[in-house]
Parts: sequence; structure tokens; C-alpha cells
Amino acid sequence: MSSFSLLDLPSLFQYQFFVFALVGGALAAIVSAWIGLFLILRKESMLVDGVAHTAFGGVALGLFIGIDPMLGALAVSTVSVFGITYMRRKGLAQSDSAIAVMMAMGFSLGLIIISMAGGYNTDLLSYLFGSILTIDQGDILVLVSLAVIIISFMVFFYKEMLAVTFDEDGARLQGIPVNALTMAFNLLVALTIALSIQVIGIILVVAMMVLPGLTALQLKRSFKSTLIASTVFGTLAAVLGVMLSTIFDVATSGVIVFTAAGIFLFVAFFQRLG
Amino acid sequence: MENIIEVQGLTVRRGTTEAITNASFEIGKGDYVGVVGPNGGGKTTLVLALLGLLPKTSGSIRILGQEIEGFKQWDKVGYVSQYAINFDSQFPLTVKELVGLGRVNQKNLGRFRNKDDWNAVDEALTMMGISDLKEKRIGQLSGGQRQRAFVAKSLVSKPELLVLDEPVTGFDPITQEKFFMQLANLNQKKGITVLIVSHDLAAVFCRMSRVLCVNREVHGSAITDGKVPDDLLKKGYGEHFHFAFHDHRCQGVFIDEQL
Repeated sequence: MSSFSLLDLPSLFQYQFFVFALVGGALAAIVSAWIGLFLILRKESMLVDGVAHTAFGGVALGLFIGIDPMLGALAVSTVSVFGITYMRRKGLAQSDSAIAVMMAMGFSLGLIIISMAGGYNTDLLSYLFGSILTIDQGDILVLVSLAVIIISFMVFFYKEMLAVTFDEDGARLQGIPVNALTMAFNLLVALTIALSIQVIGIILVVAMMVLPGLTALQLKRSFKSTLIASTVFGTLAAVLGVMLSTIFDVATSGVIVFTAAGIFLFVAFFQRLG
Repeated sequence: MENIIEVQGLTVRRGTTEAITNASFEIGKGDYVGVVGPNGGGKTTLVLALLGLLPKTSGSIRILGQEIEGFKQWDKVGYVSQYAINFDSQFPLTVKELVGLGRVNQKNLGRFRNKDDWNAVDEALTMMGISDLKEKRIGQLSGGQRQRAFVAKSLVSKPELLVLDEPVTGFDPITQEKFFMQLANLNQKKGITVLIVSHDLAAVFCRMSRVLCVNREVHGSAITDGKVPDDLLKKGYGEHFHFAFHDHRCQGVFIDEQL
């Protein structure tokens, strides 16, 4: 453990890497919590895990051909999420099988590219486990832009997305363009995963998208309150996670996930007591 | 009388089976129609086809005077599916939020809901007598309350046609009676055409003005003074079917109008 004391915490704010990590973590947490709550209610939580693992192939591809690995991750995540949806809709595979197929394909793509490149490198590992403390101003700008796109869509189509999530057939009958909204939402899922990978890493991205929503659902409130609570819990986990990991000098992504899990257990326990 | 629904030579296939064969019938404005028939006879298939949720194989369906293919006024049609009340009870939705979803349609895509929308929600809640439940989560409601909440959701867009698929399954007689009285009220006082899929033949013959008997073929008849059209039921349920029903039982159904 480091010799850092809590009294030294304010001094951390003079370091740009720390401020960027807090801002980046909070942004990723907000969009993950919003998208994650809809995924939980659509019973598609494992879609995140499958698509995130598929993104490994995209990151490897990006590094190999010399483009931004996040672009590679975004491209492969998008193909993956649409592939899974297509297989499910056309009856080619059940949801879990479709996810397994795409996950295996994405990972295999990564392995093939790694072997062609002559082995692992540190960049690739940083995408597997996240590298929030290394994000710079450019990354923050990308994160802000993506967050604005995702949040704008979710704000403007809030009522439509809620209607589709609650009752797809009913929404279709009401004239809501269910297929177009589902496609747009899938694209946002891919975007959120690509955005969160840098913060939390491929392996743990599912936790950041699912735990805040799951925690908020324990409160048994209205949808609007649940969405707000989910955002608060996600942001709290990211901010506390960055601070605690800096204080104790341990892996940030791991601490963020453990903090989110701790908040979940705390809320679930007190809800049951009440 | 103006027709709300006109069906000509409708055939609907589900997989390799012909679920509805060459059906032709009309439903007039202000009708209160019961759809009856044996399990697997095609009642839900017929309803889904009328709502455009299931493709027809042949024939034509006209709703509010327009061919279903080009029909856009779905806000004029309210629908409560037989699975409506079997939602995930953990879904974080209040009654007010649920009913508010009934105001979401193609016309207000991407627009924030305004005061008129929320006034319509309050009106629908009052119509179904559940204003006091509006802040409750839907998972906390009883079966009867849930069903009324879903009907309120389908009423909030001020429909001309209300379609309910087996809405009273599992209800106790008093809850069922209250529910049917509210529907009769909507039909008579608001002039909403109501179409209900039901296995409760007594309720259909006592309450409703028309019956459609569905068993692949669709046969329709008016109901006068609770009289059972025996021939019609035999076509749907089989030659050996005899419904032991006496119209004086209708008085028993309306046992307490103060319910």
C-alpha cells in the first residue's frame, strides 16, 4: 500500500491525469448507466459482455493496421451487435448462442492478428484492463462528443425507448418505429462499449453497464427515479474508484468495479432491512 | 351504420396452418362485440391480423374506412393484449408512467410531452377509477387494478376502437363484474367501439351487442335480449355443443349495479 493519506487527497487535483481520469470516468459512467438500465430491462445484459469481448478483435485490428484502436473497437462492436440482433431475429440462434458465436469470432480475430504481429504488446493489454489514468485531453474531447450524442438521443427518444423496452408489440401498434429505434439503440450500445473500454477495459465493461442499473432497481421507484439513481450510482462508483485506486495505488478498473459492487450490496442490504 | 372494421375474404396462415379461413364480417361504430370460440380456434390470430401485427395471407381489412396497408391512425385504436398483465413485475414503472406511454405515437416522435398529454393521462385514470393509484408501481397492483391501468393506457389517445384479448382471465366474479361495467360505460357513454376476446359466454351474451364465433371460420351474429344464437355456437364449438344458458341469468350478473 502507498504511504498516501486522505489529507493528501486535495493535492491530487493539481495533477492533470487525475482530473482527466475523474472526468473521463464520470462521463463513461453516466452513459453506461443510462444504456445499461435499458439493457437490463430488455434482458440483454450479457449482450454487453459478448460485444465487449468481440471488441478485442477490433482493438487488435486497429493496432495492427495503425489506426486508432478505439475506431477498430467501435467498428467490430457495431458489426457484432447487429450480427447478434440479426441472428436472433431471423431465428438462426437464441440470444445466448448468438452472443457466444460473435464473442468467439471477435476473440479469434484478435488472436490471429496478435500471432501475425508477433505477440502481445502493452497497448493491447491496456485495452483489456482499461487505462483511465493515461487518458489525455484528446480522449476527453472524444468522450465528451460521444457522451453528448448518446445522452441527446436518450433524452429526445426517452418516451419512445421506454415504450419499446416495456412492450415492443404495443409500441409497434402505436406507430412507433420500433426497428429504427432498436437499430439506433444497438449503435449506441456499441458506441458506449467502445467509449467505456478505455476507462474500464474489455473484461470489466459489463460491470460498469449493469451494476448501477441493478443497484437503482433495488430502490423500487418510478422509471425516471431509477434512471437518475442509476446515473448517480455509476458516477459515484467511477469517482470513488479513481480516488481509492490512486490512494491505494492499485488497478483503477478493478477498484471501480469493486466500488460499484459494494454500493450494490449496501443498497440491496438496506432495502431488505427497510 | 358506419363501419369501424370491414373484413372481406380474410385468410391468415401461421406457419403451415391456416388459422383463419376466408372470413368476412363488419363491426359497426358503437358495437360492443364479443369474440368467442374454442382454444386454438384463431381468436387471437384474428385480433392480431385486424391490428396489423400479423400479416394476412389474402383478403382485405379496412379500419376506419382505410385499407390496413396504408392505415396510419393507430392512435385511434387501443389494444390490451392477453399477456399485458403478465409483465415483469420488477419493471420500474408507475401507473402514471404506464398510462403516459399510451400518448407516445408517430406524431409526437422525439417531442417532450406537454400539459395536454398529462391532462389526458389524468382523464384516462379517472375514467378507469384508478386516479388514487397513479404513483404506485405497476408491480404492486392487483390483477384487476393492472388490467384497468392497461385499459387506461389504451384510452389515453382517445381511441374510437378498443380491442381487449381475454381481459378478465383469472379475475374473481366481483372484479370481473366491475371491469365489464366500466367497459359498458365506455361503450355507451363515450361511444367507443369495444371488441373483447373472451371465454365467458354468459358475459358475452348478457353484456354485448354482437358476437363473432371463431374456429378457423368466423361467424357473426347480433345478440338480442341475451338470446344465445345456438346455431352459431355449434358452428364454432361443434355440433354436439349445447350451451346451457338462460337469459334470466343475466339478471344475476348485474346483481349489484353499485359495485
